[in-house]
Amino acid sequence: MIHALLLLAVLHHSFGAEYDINQPITLTGTLTAIEWTNPHTHFYVDVKDAKGNVVNWKFEGYNPSVLVRTGWRKDVTMKVGDVITVFGWRARDGGTWAHSREITLPNGKKMFFGPPAGTGDGGNAPAVEVK
Amino acid sequence: MRRLAIAFVSATLLTSAFAGAQSKSSVPRSADGHPDLSGVWQGGSTTPGNWEEANGGTGVGGTGRNPNAPVVLSSNDRPAGREGAPYQEWAAKKVLESYNRRGIDDPTAQCLPGGIPRSVTLGLFPQQFVQTPTQVVILYEYMNVFRVVPFTATHPEDIIPSYMGNSIARWEGDTLVVDVVGFNDKTWLSGTGTFHSDQLHITERYTRVSKDRIDYEVTMVDPKVLTKPWKLTSSLMLREGTKLEEYICAENNLDPGRYDKLLKDGVKFTR
Repeated sequence: MIHALLLLAVLHHSFGAEYDINQPITLTGTLTAIEWTNPHTHFYVDVKDAKGNVVNWKFEGYNPSVLVRTGWRKDVTMKVGDVITVFGWRARDGGTWAHSREITLPNGKKMFFGPPAGTGDGGNAPAVEVK
Repeated sequence: MRRLAIAFVSATLLTSAFAGAQSKSSVPRSADGHPDLSGVWQGGSTTPGNWEEANGGTGVGGTGRNPNAPVVLSSNDRPAGREGAPYQEWAAKKVLESYNRRGIDDPTAQCLPGGIPRSVTLGLFPQQFVQTPTQVVILYEYMNVFRVVPFTATHPEDIIPSYMGNSIARWEGDTLVVDVVGFNDKTWLSGTGTFHSDQLHITERYTRVSKDRIDYEVTMVDPKVLTKPWKLTSSLMLREGTKLEEYICAENNLDPGRYDKLLKDGVKFTR
C-alpha cells in the first residue's frame, strides 16, 4: 500500500479548534500594534462599532519567516497608524479576536497575512477509515 | 502517413530519451560519485514559483489566491482517495478521537517537534541538507530541529528515545536510504492523531531524480499500533536562494491557553 502525499502544508495549530469558518468577518480600522513573534504574528486594530465606540481587535497570522517569504517587511509593509481592512474569521468564543487571512493596505494593495480557514484541523476525513 | 507517424514516434522517443538523460545528468554529484542532496528544499509541493505560487491553488496551508478558498489538504489531512492508515482497531479509535476534537492534542501546538515523516513532508517551512562523505545533516526550520545522519551500518547502543529518532544512512544505487529507530512516542506521523509507539521503525528513501526534485518514500513499521507497514510517498522541491530562518515556537505560544479556556467555557468546537 503506497499513498502519495501531495500539497502538504502545515500550521502550528488547528484552525477549527479556535476559529469558526462560519463566521467570516471584514473590519476596517487603525493599526495600533504588531507582534512579530513565533509561532504566530499578531496585530491589533482599533475598529469603531455601530455605536461609535472604539474596540481594539486582535488578529493572528503566519509566523515571521513565512511572512517575509511572501513579501512582508517588518514595520515597512504596514506600520502602526495605518488604516487597514482585514478579512478573516472570528474566534469561536465570540471575543474581539480573529484569524486574519487578507489585509488591504492603505495603498489598496491586498496581501495574505494568514492561511485559509481550516488548516491543521484534520480536513474532511480522518487518517483512519471510519466504520 | 505511416512513415510520418513512425518519424513522429521516433522523434518523440529520441526527445524523451534525451530529456531523461538530461534530467539524470542534471543531478549534482559529490566527489565520490553519489548524488549530492545538499541544498534548501521544501516539501509538500511540486509547483515551482514563489512561495505563494508553490503553496497556493485551492488553499492548503499556503497562500491561495482566493481568500475564501476551502482548504483541501494540510499536513493533518488525509488526501482524497488515500486509504486509511493501517491502525489496529483500538489505536484507530484513538486517532479518530483526535480528529473529532480537531487536533487540539497536536504535539506541535505545544511547540514540540514535528517528528518524521511530518517534518519532511510539510510545506511553507524549508529544510536544508548538508551532505559530506561521512554524514548528512538535515536542518528543519519548523521547530528548529536537526538530524545528524552518519553513513554507517549500525545504530549506536546508547540511544536516548527522541522526537526525531536515531538515523543512519547507506546508498542503494542513487538512492539515499535512511534507517530511523529510537523514537519516543510523542509525535504524529501523517495526519491528525496519527500517534505511534516507541517501537516505531522508519525507513526513508531519498532519490534526487533531477536537479530540482527529490522523490521521497517512507515506510513506517510499528507492531504496537499498526497492523502492517504504512508506506507513503512525497517529494521535495529545491528552493534556491532561500535561507533557513529561526523558529522559536515557545516565544509566544498562546494556543494551549486558548484551548484550556474554550474547554472550560464549554465552547463547542468538536465535530
